Amino acid sequence: MITALDRAQTELANIVGAARVVSDEGTRASLSVDGKTPGLAVYPPSAQQTAEVLRYASHERLAVIPCRNATKLSIGNPPRDYDIALCMKEMNRVWHYEPEDLTISAEPGMKFGDFQHFVGRHGLWLPLNPPGGASASLGGIVATNASGSYRCFYGTPRDMALGVKVATTEGKVVKAGGRVVKNVAGYDLTKLMIGSFGTLGVIVEMSFKLFPRPTERATFVLTAGTLEKAREIRRALQLSPIRPLRAALLDASYMEFLKESEHLKECGGGCEIWIEVGGSERVVGRCSSELKQIALRANETFREQERNSTMAGVWSRIDDSYSGVRANTDDWLLRVSMAVSAVEEYMIRANRDQLRPEHFWRCWAEPLGGIVHLWLHPHPEPAGFEEVIHNLRRLGEELGGSLVVEIAPFAGKAKVDAWGTIGDDFEVMRKLKDAFDPNHILSPGRFVGGL
Amino acid sequence: MKSFTRELIRLVGRDAVLWRPEDLMLYEYDGLSSLRQPDAVVLPTTTDHVVGIVKFAAREKVPVVARGAGTGLSGGAVTPEGGILIGFSRMKKILEIDLENQRARIQPGVVNLDLSLAVSDQGYFYAPDPSSQKACTIGGNVAENSGGPHTLAYGVTTNHVLGLEVVLPGGEVIHTGAAHWGRPGYDLTGLIVGSEGTLGIVTEITVRLMRKPEAVKTLLAVYDRVLDATRTVAAITARGITPAALEMMDGFTLRAVEDATHAGYPKDSAAVLLIEVEGLLENVEEESDQIEAVCREDHARDVRRAKSNEERELLWRGRKNAFGAIGRISPSYYVQDGVIPRTRLPEMLEFIAGVAEKYKLQIGNIFHAGDGNLHPLLMFDARDEAQHQRVLKAAREIMAKCAEMGGSITGEHGVGIEKNELMPLIFSPDDLDAMRKVKSVFNPAGEFNPAKLLPSGKMCGELRVQVSAGA
Repeated sequence: MITALDRAQTELANIVGAARVVSDEGTRASLSVDGKTPGLAVYPPSAQQTAEVLRYASHERLAVIPCRNATKLSIGNPPRDYDIALCMKEMNRVWHYEPEDLTISAEPGMKFGDFQHFVGRHGLWLPLNPPGGASASLGGIVATNASGSYRCFYGTPRDMALGVKVATTEGKVVKAGGRVVKNVAGYDLTKLMIGSFGTLGVIVEMSFKLFPRPTERATFVLTAGTLEKAREIRRALQLSPIRPLRAALLDASYMEFLKESEHLKECGGGCEIWIEVGGSERVVGRCSSELKQIALRANETFREQERNSTMAGVWSRIDDSYSGVRANTDDWLLRVSMAVSAVEEYMIRANRDQLRPEHFWRCWAEPLGGIVHLWLHPHPEPAGFEEVIHNLRRLGEELGGSLVVEIAPFAGKAKVDAWGTIGDDFEVMRKLKDAFDPNHILSPGRFVGGL
Repeated sequence: MKSFTRELIRLVGRDAVLWRPEDLMLYEYDGLSSLRQPDAVVLPTTTDHVVGIVKFAAREKVPVVARGAGTGLSGGAVTPEGGILIGFSRMKKILEIDLENQRARIQPGVVNLDLSLAVSDQGYFYAPDPSSQKACTIGGNVAENSGGPHTLAYGVTTNHVLGLEVVLPGGEVIHTGAAHWGRPGYDLTGLIVGSEGTLGIVTEITVRLMRKPEAVKTLLAVYDRVLDATRTVAAITARGITPAALEMMDGFTLRAVEDATHAGYPKDSAAVLLIEVEGLLENVEEESDQIEAVCREDHARDVRRAKSNEERELLWRGRKNAFGAIGRISPSYYVQDGVIPRTRLPEMLEFIAGVAEKYKLQIGNIFHAGDGNLHPLLMFDARDEAQHQRVLKAAREIMAKCAEMGGSITGEHGVGIEKNELMPLIFSPDDLDAMRKVKSVFNPAGEFNPAKLLPSGKMCGELRVQVSAGA
């Protein structure tokens, strides 16, 4: 008997070539999402072929999840259906690169590490540090609006993308925005696509503005005995003339973890605030003396972190919040976004009211970005553990923020929504989904409100 | 008085409705053109008022157009099909200032500069700074995604808006975005900013505030050849320096500006660059030196640094009042707003000179050069219809060149009724269909700001400007 998937394999092979439609078990299993394994993996080599695959899938109502290196596929609710893994790996070319203009257009399958290396030759970079690090793909970064600790200074892909091309379920390749740094012609569909997690279309090309890499960078560490003290230091930092490239508040639980994992010897036991500044030697020197003053006024210690593997290791732990967190085990990774002023308050209350030693939790935050990261790995997971997650979400919402579950065990995902409460703008989001993906074939059920 | 007007008065009160032709006259034009009077102007003070007006308009099937200060340059705030014009001049409250979180919640009628003034003493400012910032409203800036000279370093309006309250054509009120970075869901805030009042009417805005830098330095580089000035622009970027602002004026424009404002631009020069750097004191000193060196390498005849705040403000006053200065010497002018990759400025400048010659026009050039955003000023006399037509043809040629260079037909002024028929220069029919899909989700019947932004399909690639004398 010929099944729908057999038919699809033949039809898709006509679009992309038989070698690019893969059905072997190993490949399919490696692309499974929340326990669901796709029937086929398709590797389109061009924008137009991507669009044709989508048109076919939409017509046949086959569910598609786009991906590249699967670094961020853990985010989102379990898919309702999953027939085709659309793997963008072959689309990894650079189309336009004008270093003097600080602009570039590239395809989604390009790995972030390769991209940074490519533009790094001219002293440029895209100042992001997304989960997945060098293995993250450009497409995945834009689709999830992934950034990292530099967001407090440079913003997110939303602030760097100049335009996108998107393959639609109608089989078209649609352009939004452009390749110049300023452009207000028409609706800003680029913004709509960024962070839509591949639920409206599949990004097949994107243009960015690039940034000159700071000539010097240095990391300074301020101790903060308590979270109250950390708040005082954060406020002083906000009022100082310096603008750090990034800052991380590591609470005692995280410091314990770093002591072990990164052989961090210097730390004393309480919280620490790690700050990276950039610029010329004189600018870095000035930042150093400003930070020293802040530490002095707060009665805390200050040190310049040696430029060694420990420093690199700590920053990469902080940036790549997913490193070490194991998907599909007992680990939970939560990201709570909120106003900057609420960060320490959230950590204090979560610590006091919600978290217990048996949750084996670690907590770190971006005090200037308004984000708290929580990594819990209760083992074995106590019954009703999802109530803890609900409470942590409620606490975030009470402080005006929102909690996203980035990684969770299978069983947990069934009980806790990844995205949280929807707002009064959800109806518009639903209609946009209907307009761009009328048969709901793109990552069905994975996004906010079950979109 | 029509029953129509009576119903509006019932909704918002007698003093908030204008219906006499002599009152409506003030609202029939904006910074671009004058077309047709609205049937009524309503001046609400609350979101509930706006909801009431929108619901009434939906029942009556009449268009609704939102208007801030009417300073827009693409006809976004005029009523080409009549209908109700909602003026936001009375919704100008700053509702909340939260300095610790560097944000403010405001009504859309707040004047751009007023917000910066309100937080200036505490060391903060609102970054997008259109030249009309003394008059234009932030609601209008949101509609047009406005820029300004300092957007080179800070980004345009969309980079500074965190959340919106929006009234949809059915009268529903939605809240997009959040006061923090990471609310999940589609970025409706990003979609609505720059949608020119065609998707919804914004009634409240949460914006980001920035800390004032410790030091600011303004440099004026003076050139004997305009091409040298344009080369400097790319050279500065290529050195890895991002100034806070990098503006260019050609000789013709700077002379007009100097006559009007006595800002200190040397009248015998062919072009000037106005460059601003800011940040830590050390940074500003180093970058000023580097920039000066680059300017001199590209044959700047002189590089001056503003010695006092007064001198700095004077230089900027000249730049920000440039359009007004042109108004003193030409009965009418048409400001264009194109974008090109900044490395191609020298080529573009030569092209514009060729266009001026071909159409026998005087064209002044004033550019946000750092981000490749051009504002050629095409001078003419509106009473001379033949000349008016030549202006439109010349402007269209410049726009087509921007598109050909991989640029855009508007960097900050918007599409409106001015350039909607030019959209096919940079977007394919499929691209435009995707935009129509978005519009059909928000504004299916098209009552909100009709005839704007998207091409009507009735005209073919034409600029639609009826620039009035002295515009």
